[in-house]
Amino acid sequence: MALLEVKNLTVEFGSEDKPFRAVDSVSYSVDRGEVLGIVGESGSGKSVSSLAIMGLIDFPGRVTADSLTFDGQDLLKMPAKKRRAITGKDIAMIFQDPMSALNPCFTVEAQIMEALKVHEGGNKKQRRERTLDLLNQVGIPDPKSRMTAYPHQLSGGMSQRIVIAMAIACQPRLLIADEPTTALDVTIQAQIIDLLLKLQDDSDMGLLLITHDLALVSEAANRIQVMYAGQLFESGPADSIFAAPRHPYTQALLEALPERSTGNDRLSTIPGVVPGQYDRPKGCLLAPRCRYANDHCIQDRPEVTDFNGRDVRCFYPLNDQGQPTGQATGQTAGETV
Amino acid sequence: MSFLDTKPGVPLLESDDLVRHYDVNRGLGKPSATVKALDGVSFTLEAQKTLAVVGESGCGKSTLGRQLTLIEKPSAGQLKINGEAVGDLSDKDAKMFRRTVQMIFQNPYGSLNPRKKVGQILGEPVLLNMDHLGRKEREERVRDTMAKVGLRPEFYGRYPHMFSGGQRQRISIARALILEPKVIVADEPVSALDVSVQAQVLNLMMDLQEEMNVAYVFISHDLSVVRHIADDVMVMYLGRVAEKGPTEEIFAKPLHPYTRALLASAPKIDPAQRVKAEPLTGELPSPINPPSGCAFHKRCPFANEHCAQVRPELRMFEGREVACHRVEEIA
Repeated sequence: MALLEVKNLTVEFGSEDKPFRAVDSVSYSVDRGEVLGIVGESGSGKSVSSLAIMGLIDFPGRVTADSLTFDGQDLLKMPAKKRRAITGKDIAMIFQDPMSALNPCFTVEAQIMEALKVHEGGNKKQRRERTLDLLNQVGIPDPKSRMTAYPHQLSGGMSQRIVIAMAIACQPRLLIADEPTTALDVTIQAQIIDLLLKLQDDSDMGLLLITHDLALVSEAANRIQVMYAGQLFESGPADSIFAAPRHPYTQALLEALPERSTGNDRLSTIPGVVPGQYDRPKGCLLAPRCRYANDHCIQDRPEVTDFNGRDVRCFYPLNDQGQPTGQATGQTAGETV
Repeated sequence: MSFLDTKPGVPLLESDDLVRHYDVNRGLGKPSATVKALDGVSFTLEAQKTLAVVGESGCGKSTLGRQLTLIEKPSAGQLKINGEAVGDLSDKDAKMFRRTVQMIFQNPYGSLNPRKKVGQILGEPVLLNMDHLGRKEREERVRDTMAKVGLRPEFYGRYPHMFSGGQRQRISIARALILEPKVIVADEPVSALDVSVQAQVLNLMMDLQEEMNVAYVFISHDLSVVRHIADDVMVMYLGRVAEKGPTEEIFAKPLHPYTRALLASAPKIDPAQRVKAEPLTGELPSPINPPSGCAFHKRCPFANEHCAQVRPELRMFEGREVACHRVEEIA
C-alpha cells in the first residue's frame, strides 16, 4: 500500500454554483522511499494540491476527494485534532521562499524547538540537543553559533537549510517540497537538492517535489506528473517521460526549453497563455494552444487513460515519433496572442 | 548628437574598469563599511550583439546594469558610447544618453505603473525625449511600437493589471524600444515567466534585435537561456569578471573553476548532458569583507597558497579572458 494515496482530489474556490476548480480530480500516490515530481507552469494547481494534502486550504476553498489516505488512514474523514497530529509530524512541508517561511522575530533555535515541543515533547535540554543535531544533519557550518541567530542574519541557502531542519525535526514519513530551490542560485540549488535526496534516502521517506523546473525534476524524481490548469495531463517514470512524451503539452513544453533547441535560431513556443478563472475552454483545456487539436478536442474534455503504461489525458496520445495516434487531423486551432 | 552616431571601428558600448562602491552603515558606533559591488569591470559591446552577464546573486550583475543605464553614477572608471565618454555629462547630454541605452526590468509586475494605461506608459518616454513630436505623432509612434512587440491595438487604453506576465513583459520591451535605443540592458527579463511564455519573449527579443539593430546586455542566472541568446558571455564573481568569451566556447569548455562549477550545477533534462561533479561547497562570501587573493579560492577545488594571497588579473588564454592563476594546469 502506498504511503500517500490521493484519489480524485478537487479543490474549488468561489461560489457554489459557479466554482473555479484550481485542482480538478487529480489522483496520485507516493510510496516510501520514492520521489514523485509534480511539474507545471504557474496556475497549474500544483501548489494548491499540496496545500490541500497538508490541510492548509482555508474557507472559502473547498477540498473534496474520493479518498486522501496517508498510511491507510483517510485524512479527510478523521477528526481535525487527529489530523493536526499527523501533519507537521508524519507529513511535513518545505515552502518556496525560505525568507518568508521563517518568523523574523524568533531565533532559529526557538523555531525548530517549537515543532519538537508540539509533536515530541521532552524537556528543553533534550530539545536543544536534538536541534543541534538537526542543524548538523542539514549541513550548517558552526551550528552552535547559528542556533541563536535570527533569520535575517542568514543567507537564502542557510535559511532553506533551517526550513528543512524544521521539516525533518519529527522524522516525517512524507516530505512535501514546494519549489524548494526557486529562490536560490544554481550552485546553492544543487546543494539543497543533494541534501533533500540524501535525507530522503537515509530515512526512506516519501518525497513530493513540486517545481516548474523540468530539468530539476527529471534529475531528482523517480516518477513525474505533468499538470496543466488544475488537471493531471501525463504521468510516468522520470527516465522515459521526457525522452518520449505522450501528451502534446509535455512535448511542446520540452520543445520550448532553450536547452532542447540548440542549433535552432528561434525557440518553439506554445501560443497563448494558461487559461485562468474566466476563460477555461469547454473541451480539452489545452485545445486552444495545442498544435494537434481538432473539433473533437474543442468540444469534449478527455479523461485520463492508460497509454503504453503511461497515464495520459489526451484523445490522441503521441507515439514514439512524437506524432498523434488515432484520428488527429493535425490542423492547428492555435490562436496567437 | 554625437552619441547617436556610430563611428566605424569604435565599439558601441565600452566599459573601462567600471567600479561601484557603496557605503553601508553597520549600526550605531560601528565604523561604516564599503561594499565593493562592482570592482573593476571592463568589456566592449558591438552593435547588434548580445553580451550575457551571468553569476550568482550578489555578484554585481544588476549593479553593472544600473551603471550602464546611468541610473547610478559609477564610483570610478569610464563608460563610453560610440567612443564618447559619458562620465561627466551635462544634463542635456545625459538625456541624450538615456535615449541610447534603455532598460528592461526583471519583474513585469513591479515595473509598470498600475495607475497608467498602456498608451500613457509607452507615451511618456516619447513625451520627455522627443518634444518636437505632436500628440498625434506620439500616439502613432506608440501604436507602431505596440504592433512591433505583438500587442493588439485595443490594448492602448488598458491598465497593466489586465495583462498576463508575458504581455506585461512585452509592454516593458515596447517601453525600452520606443526611443529606438542602440543598447538595451535586460535585467533577468524572463526569469519571472513560465517556460512557454519565456520562449515567446526570447523569440520576440531576438526578432527585434534583427529588426531594430539593438545590442543587448542580457543579465541572467539561467544558463540555458544565455546559451541560446548570447554571442558572448561574461561570468562575474563578487564584483569582478571571472571569465569572458564567446558563448559556444565557454559552454563547450569552461576554463575558470567557477564557470565549471556553475555549468555543472545547472540541472540538465537530457541524461547524456549531465556532468557528475561535486557540487560547489559554501556560499558567496560577503562583499564587505571579501577573501584575500582570489575571491573564489575558499570554494575552489584547485586553490593553493598562491591563490589565497594574490588576486588574479584577467588575462588571455586560448582566445578568452580568464582570471585564474592556475588556468594552464586546469585546462
